[in-house]
Amino acid sequence: MQRRNRLLFIVVFLAGVAVLCVHYGGVYDRNWPHPSGAQLADEPGGWDGEQVLLFGTVTETTEEGFVMAVKTASGDTARILTVYKDQTEAKSGGLVQVYGELSNRGTIQHAESVVVVNEGPDDSQYKLSVSAVGILVAAGAFLRYWGIDWHRLQFYTRAQSGDDDG
Amino acid sequence: MADLLSHVLLAFAAFTAVGWVISWLDRRWVTVGMVGSVVPDLNRIDLLADDYFIEQFLGVSFDWGAIHTLGGVIVVSAAGAVLFSTRRQQVRVFCLLVAGGCSHLFVDGLKAWADGSNGAYLYPFSWWRNPTPGWYVSADKWVLILSLVLASGILLVDKLAT
Repeated sequence: MQRRNRLLFIVVFLAGVAVLCVHYGGVYDRNWPHPSGAQLADEPGGWDGEQVLLFGTVTETTEEGFVMAVKTASGDTARILTVYKDQTEAKSGGLVQVYGELSNRGTIQHAESVVVVNEGPDDSQYKLSVSAVGILVAAGAFLRYWGIDWHRLQFYTRAQSGDDDG
Repeated sequence: MADLLSHVLLAFAAFTAVGWVISWLDRRWVTVGMVGSVVPDLNRIDLLADDYFIEQFLGVSFDWGAIHTLGGVIVVSAAGAVLFSTRRQQVRVFCLLVAGGCSHLFVDGLKAWADGSNGAYLYPFSWWRNPTPGWYVSADKWVLILSLVLASGILLVDKLAT
């Protein structure tokens, strides 16, 4: 394949990724069965009496559960919810998923289930650091067996196995 | 999602084991599958340019989350496959990148969700959410330990067998 054709194909496929992201963003709220932060901000009482899944950051723990902030994509706080849940491991600063019934214009949630995604900022830092190592491991392993021909804009196999793959 | 190192190690273990029955799937091709396991997490590009920023820039809805789906994996894998020279290499690379990406989505499909259902990873083919066993959350360190043990075991067996 010529370099020009290769570039053309890459541009086409990357444009395909962009189209996919635009479409996904456009139809997500219609297909996701739970409200987003923005939807909750626009229509606070719209889900009262319904079982919904919300993501939020714990701002305070209480005797009956905790208080969490649900945010919009822009980072603004959409709703502050008081979550009632016995025996939860949620701690202040943690990221949680809460599933339960909303009430009182989306400010109270009686949780059926709580998943603590991150106990705090340290968990997020841990995941980012370990994931960066993962990228290095994958890239290092790959480049051990494949070289980069910048002129032709392609990978070539480093002669090791002698395998004729065409 | 589990941490990316766990995904890469699990892909290494899986593709190495599959290589025991598929003769051409040697270490060189296993590394392509490992790279494939990274593909769904390319959606973390949102750390550099988040959805809201792109939406403001383009003026349309936008969500990097599409990459963390089957459709996203297929299209990104196609772009990756073009970077190889021969048709046979491109087909193999495409299949391995998609398989690696699917291994990532499969492992992510086992983690805990508060409502008991996974993300809609089959987009754009379906918005179905598989019931999840809820075996882990993404910050669980035992997932990485298990992945390390599994990958080391497979590597040892592979060395002994060849």
